[in-house]
Amino acid sequence: MERLYAILEDIQPDVDYKTCVTLVKDHILDSLSILSLVAEIEDEFDITVPAVEIIPDNFNSADAIWAMILRLEEN
Amino acid sequence: MSSYFSIEYLALFLPAVFIFYNLMPKKYRWLLLLLASYLFFWLISGKLILYLISATCIVYIIALHLEKIQSQRNQLLEKKERSERKAIRIFYQKKQRKLVTAGVLILIGILAVLKYSGFIGINIQSIFSLLHLPITIQIPSFVLPIGISFYTLQAVSYLLDVYREKIKPEWNFGKLALYMSFFLTIIEGPICRYSDMSIQLYEGRKVSWNQFLYGMQRILYGLMKKIVIADRLNLFIKTIFHDYNSYDGGMIAFGALLYTCQLYMEFSGTMDIVIGSGEIFSFKILENFRQPFFSKTISEFWQRWHISLGLWFKDYIFYPLSMSDPLKKMTSWARKKFGNHYGPLMSGSIALFCVWLANGFWHGSGWNYIFFGLYHFTLILGGNLIEPVSNRLCSYFKIKRESILYHFFQIVRTGILVVIGELFFRAQGLRAGIHMFIKICTNFSLVSFTDSTVFSIGMDRQDFIIVVIAVMTVFVISIIKEKGLSVREHISKEPIVLRWSLYYMLILFIVVFGAYGTGYVPVDPIYANF
Amino acid sequence: MKVKYIVRSFLFMTGLLICLGTASIVVFPKNNTMEFGMRDVNANGILGENDNTIDVLVLGDSESYSSISPMTIWNETGITSYVCGTSAQQLYESMNFLKQALQNQKPKIVILETNAIYRNFSPVKMIENGFNQLFPIFQYHNRWKSILPVDFGGSIEYTWRDDLKGFKYSNKIEGTNAQDYMSKTDKIAEISELNRQYVKEMAKLCEENDAKFILVSTPSTVNWNYARHNGICLLADEYELDYYDLNLLSKEILIDWSQDTRDKGDHLNYYGAFKVSKYLAHFLKEKYALSDHRQEKEYQSWNESYQRYQTIIAQN
Repeated sequence: MERLYAILEDIQPDVDYKTCVTLVKDHILDSLSILSLVAEIEDEFDITVPAVEIIPDNFNSADAIWAMILRLEEN
Repeated sequence: MSSYFSIEYLALFLPAVFIFYNLMPKKYRWLLLLLASYLFFWLISGKLILYLISATCIVYIIALHLEKIQSQRNQLLEKKERSERKAIRIFYQKKQRKLVTAGVLILIGILAVLKYSGFIGINIQSIFSLLHLPITIQIPSFVLPIGISFYTLQAVSYLLDVYREKIKPEWNFGKLALYMSFFLTIIEGPICRYSDMSIQLYEGRKVSWNQFLYGMQRILYGLMKKIVIADRLNLFIKTIFHDYNSYDGGMIAFGALLYTCQLYMEFSGTMDIVIGSGEIFSFKILENFRQPFFSKTISEFWQRWHISLGLWFKDYIFYPLSMSDPLKKMTSWARKKFGNHYGPLMSGSIALFCVWLANGFWHGSGWNYIFFGLYHFTLILGGNLIEPVSNRLCSYFKIKRESILYHFFQIVRTGILVVIGELFFRAQGLRAGIHMFIKICTNFSLVSFTDSTVFSIGMDRQDFIIVVIAVMTVFVISIIKEKGLSVREHISKEPIVLRWSLYYMLILFIVVFGAYGTGYVPVDPIYANF
Repeated sequence: MKVKYIVRSFLFMTGLLICLGTASIVVFPKNNTMEFGMRDVNANGILGENDNTIDVLVLGDSESYSSISPMTIWNETGITSYVCGTSAQQLYESMNFLKQALQNQKPKIVILETNAIYRNFSPVKMIENGFNQLFPIFQYHNRWKSILPVDFGGSIEYTWRDDLKGFKYSNKIEGTNAQDYMSKTDKIAEISELNRQYVKEMAKLCEENDAKFILVSTPSTVNWNYARHNGICLLADEYELDYYDLNLLSKEILIDWSQDTRDKGDHLNYYGAFKVSKYLAHFLKEKYALSDHRQEKEYQSWNESYQRYQTIIAQN
């Protein structure tokens, strides 16, 4: 989880990722930052994020992103 | 039957389908919808329905095959150790990918042949004549079945969603055929996803009185947009775009502005009828517009205008492309080199370029459409490129980005850029578009407005007054919607006398001020031709 | 609960009909002239005629008002006739004109020019027509631009008369050398079921009003041929109607196709119409024993109209 916060902080600083649950909805993460984010996550956690996972629900909060990572690591 | 605004549809088809739908037992309601949809298609395109049926067959077979491969894989996965699983996954992934690629290529191929062979033929021909080659090729032309651009995209999304295991494929051929042909979305969309539509289409849900009323209101609103505004503007716009040489830049700019207005009223009015008709059956059809002219940037505009198309491109072109392995590597590499903003921009822009090229092509086979697509690509890319610079400028000059004034500036700027885009979109060919644009820049004058030439081409003073009143009504309703309030809920809380007077007024407004009957030629459904 | 909704819908619809009706009363032209917003003024000029003065009513498309000139008929025989013809008239429109005319007139003969029988239309047009007839707001809605004070509450008064009685004058000559357009054949041009029904209905309506309903084909090389002739013959037999095809009367009506048409055989011009009307006048008078009104006091306005008609011809 801390690793994820670090990545997020690196991509878009000055956001309270612990509480924010509207990252996509409020355009804090736009489509370009999601591209960066996915690339970083894949490197960091050795997973592949398929296109089908790129939905707002999976990126609206750090918790959601983390849940997605865990799910993908399972496979 | 020619459109949702025809008497055939509003007075015969829709009521008949609604009545029979309610008479049917729930279990068979979807069958009635399928019959109605095929009848609808047949009435418009006749024998060309074969294209639709064959597309449905292709999708049906491939989707079931994909599922078979997936279940084989799952059986194997259960038996194997964890370490072997990855290899199995990859093996079956490849197998699926071949199949789904074939399916998508066939679907897009049919669309491309029907839609673009004429365009390609003409361009090859002009290359030949440029090179002085005495070759004439037969330029083919096909009659397009109605809605092919829409149902093809729906078919592709269905296949890809099955491939991505987002949805289970439909085993009932009839039900799949209904998803592909649903009469409300076939002509001008919205481009629906199987996961959004399947349950509502098949479960035969109960019709509710409130939904019915909402639906009727929505249909009336759409009728007003189309018949009072779009159709009344038609003659003026036609004259300006057809005969642009006779008018100065001011009039051409005004024509482009009115065309943008007409396009919005026509398209969103159609969507009101589609969504309203859906509500009558208690279907929830996705909104295709969200007050687009309140957008602050071009990319926001495209998240509010023809939403379903934008989402389709995003889900099936933008993300798959930008997250393909080579582009992903590029993103990681570039981010380290150019930082957070410009890093992902490179690969993002490549994907975005493909999206807008596809967008241009989807709208039609003509250079002006391709230009239209690339124009928006350039605007969005440009916006992204200068964003850090403009941020810095703003803070340097202490411009408050959150002030109302600045927002207003952004909205107007975006509006102007959109109008310029639509000028090329409507122009009869790219060359005409360029000429018109040049005229706006070099020959701009407001004389036509002061000497009332403006009232002499197809619309007189009274016509303009009516259009202004109607547009203002739409504008006010848009503001209320933008504020997140629901107009209809407000209305439903009013006393019955006021409520009914409002309905009667709206109906009479349409009946009296609608541009129908002798002397008017209604606009063809603009988006149905794409 | 359900009853409540049904009652409400019923009340709402009633209110809506009242609104549409009121609006219809407002926009409906209060006189039969252009200034008052009347459409098809020539055909609707019949509204200005005195009650029960028209003996022969002609219905049809542009063929009817190009070929039949009531003033010529008047001058020849003293028969009063009126052409309620409009361009591209469909049979449901002919029906409208027939019904309208029967309200104030008692024609002895109703002629339907047969070209209209071959104009097909979709059933939807009938529905539209129904709406238009029931609520004139739908066809006169454009009058909001030129609404007059009299439209609010004023009564309807038709004062205008057409000196040409629905005929449209043209002295343009654009000849054709098509001579043998009526070559004999066994082929039969099909008549749509909808149009058959309309002919049947019109015949019935005429019978109820003691008018003789007859079919007439006026000369046109473009629109008429023997297959169509056969089709109408069959129809006339079926409904027991009199049918006269003037295209076959090349001995009685000497149409010179190089001179008597204004658009290469499509429509007759004044010279052709004169020949047709003259023949028709005498033929109708003899066949149906119509009376001569020329000396009657109530019909003096017809003589005046004829004077003006002649001036129009002389001036052009």
